Amino acid sequence: MEASFDFWTHLPAVIPELLLTVLAVVVLLLDLYGGKENRRNIAFVSAIGLAAIAVTPLIWGPSEQQVFWGGMVRYDLIAQIFKVMIIIGASITCLMAADDSEVGHKGEFYLIVIVATLGASLIAAAADLIMVFVGLETLSIPLYILAAFRRDDERSSESGMKYFLFGAFSSGVMLYGFSLLYGFTGETNIYTLSQAFPAAVADNPLPLIGALLMLLVGFGFKVSMVPFHFWTPDVYEGAPTPVTAYVSVASKAASFALLVRVLLAVFPVTLVIGQENLQTLWVNLVSVLAIVTMTIGNVLALRQTNIKRLLAYSSIAQAGYVLVGVAAMQSQSDYSVASVAFYLLMYTFTNLGAFAGVLIFSETTGSENIKDMGGLSRRNPWLALGMTIAILSLAGIPPAAGFFGKFYLFTAAVNANMVLLAIIAVLNAIVALYYYLIVIKVMYVDRSQYDSQSIALSRSTLWVIGLTSIAVLLLGTFGAQPFFDWAAQGAQALLAL
Amino acid sequence: MEVSIASYIMLSAVLFILGAMGVLLRRNAILVFMSVELMLNAANLALVAFARHWGQTDGHLFVFFVITVAAAEVAVGLALIVAIFRTKKSINIDDLHELQG
Amino acid sequence: MIEINAQSIAFAILAVLTLGGGLGVVLNRNLFRGAIWLMVSLFGVAGIFVLLSAPFLAAVQVLVYIGAIAILITFAVMLTRSMTNLGERFVRRTAGIVVAVLLFFFILLGTILPVWGVDGTRYDDVSAPAENVATTRELGVALVDGNQFVLPFEVASLLLTAAMIGAIVIAREDEE
Repeated sequence: MEASFDFWTHLPAVIPELLLTVLAVVVLLLDLYGGKENRRNIAFVSAIGLAAIAVTPLIWGPSEQQVFWGGMVRYDLIAQIFKVMIIIGASITCLMAADDSEVGHKGEFYLIVIVATLGASLIAAAADLIMVFVGLETLSIPLYILAAFRRDDERSSESGMKYFLFGAFSSGVMLYGFSLLYGFTGETNIYTLSQAFPAAVADNPLPLIGALLMLLVGFGFKVSMVPFHFWTPDVYEGAPTPVTAYVSVASKAASFALLVRVLLAVFPVTLVIGQENLQTLWVNLVSVLAIVTMTIGNVLALRQTNIKRLLAYSSIAQAGYVLVGVAAMQSQSDYSVASVAFYLLMYTFTNLGAFAGVLIFSETTGSENIKDMGGLSRRNPWLALGMTIAILSLAGIPPAAGFFGKFYLFTAAVNANMVLLAIIAVLNAIVALYYYLIVIKVMYVDRSQYDSQSIALSRSTLWVIGLTSIAVLLLGTFGAQPFFDWAAQGAQALLAL
Repeated sequence: MEVSIASYIMLSAVLFILGAMGVLLRRNAILVFMSVELMLNAANLALVAFARHWGQTDGHLFVFFVITVAAAEVAVGLALIVAIFRTKKSINIDDLHELQG
Repeated sequence: MIEINAQSIAFAILAVLTLGGGLGVVLNRNLFRGAIWLMVSLFGVAGIFVLLSAPFLAAVQVLVYIGAIAILITFAVMLTRSMTNLGERFVRRTAGIVVAVLLFFFILLGTILPVWGVDGTRYDDVSAPAENVATTRELGVALVDGNQFVLPFEVASLLLTAAMIGAIVIAREDEE
């Protein structure tokens, strides 16, 4: 037990987390002593701080890829990539929140966002069941708080409550799955668990299938996979808009990073129990879930009138597309993991841009109805343009990044000989075009009662919309290949166990 | 002969199912919440039994973390219940229909 | 298979407490009684921790779960006291849910029995001798040892801080 522990070799593996803690303390002190009139500046301090921290995983790091802190976290390129996108997502969220009249001036809001980001960044690298559990709850519990942050708004507390009850239940199920895995093997490290499975279950795959299902409940809830998606529309609609944006990007990216790592490491391709290859089993399961998830998301999105609910169902559908990439992991794992990572990266910018537009629209007009967005192009052409780029990207139309995102995912499915899955995904993307294009049509063609009322953009929103639009366009053109290659390099690191 | 580990595991499975039933059947937020606590306790019970079986500490530490996280969860959950009661005067899940579509 | 001795009697009593308390939570009509039943169940679990040679966790269970969590729940029950008598006990689509839960139970049995059932691979494994089980000192060291659990330990402390601050923010009345 008393192996020597060299603090300095382990430190670089958690530099982003360490700096996030420091930033949290700074924000707390600013909130306490900074004075009321400066509260809004906390948003900018947090945003700039987070943006600076987002770069650190690229600069500092341990010299070799291995597990650190007693096997709690693993340092590898794919974890760093996910950390970068999670922390950037948090940074843009804070910038966006500065314009939210109800949460933007509360210092506690930023503190809790930073703690949630810490949890998210840890689960992107977690390599031990205990760390996974603690990290996942460090992400989830702050999110329940954030969803209910508008105290005097019934819808907000209601969404917090629903999120909480669903989340607590699903994490309970997942925890039981973890305890079974521990029971089978006496191990908690996800990279060594699978070696002990054959001895534990002889040739009966049932116990492992049961544990796998329980894990999928927990992860499925976090990524809003059908049938664990019920909370999504209500939480997206009721939560403050910056929180919705955060849940849809940072929390989702971290959960997918965890899902991919756990599934690939705990149920590797080499694991055959009885006649059953466990990986084939979860791959088939995930492909069915992918089909159901994207279809239900898209079909229900068709009849939404509230823009936040529309984006909620759209985000369920997008989770379905990502699951297509997850399902393709068996044969072409590098390519598939890279396509998932690339998709989540571009989705981070896309959705943040869309939600920033929604936020500024609802702040000025007090409405979240799609038909009230009529004439947005005349009320503020830049806002309409930013929204259009984001929505084109969600729909997967070039030159926005969504096109390459979907292209890589579906190619991964075709490479894995899952042509049917790819065809269903493409059909889904075509159905989705309808409701995305309607929003664009409303903005540019329709008229509404607010037509004459112009919308002013604050400087921070301008930054958010400008940055995300540029990122989306960049990732949809010259940026696509380099970033994909980077992600592919990271994917190799994940699989080099 | 000692009570076998299997008996403990079965006990924990039954407790877990009871908790899950409570979550799915009851409509009162506080009761749902108490049922979730039962589920967490079932997992803890299993973890301690497994730790006994393997003769190591990891399971105990896992339980320690679960209890810590449960404490955080309970604080947040009850704050939510109080907040929602203040605005709605009801904590029945069926009355949460402000959001629908 | 089952011998009558002090340990098995203790196990039986504690199992009845645990499950009885659980049933009480799930079936009762009165929230306040539900909270009391929850405490009974938690107490049963604490007793079982003692049987499993985890006295420290049993103490933590009593202190944190019964002393803090259950009491906090009781407070919530009292703060929202007009709700303590529940008119409607269950949701309406009970049958479907019971079927789903039973299905789930069978999945769980399928998961557990092949390993720990009578014919399971682990059934005959001799339990590790009680002396091997962790002392409080070992647990304490493991929580602050860099090669073990210091990282989740620190993260959990941050989580508790954030949860506390957040709980205050959403629960207090508006000031200013």
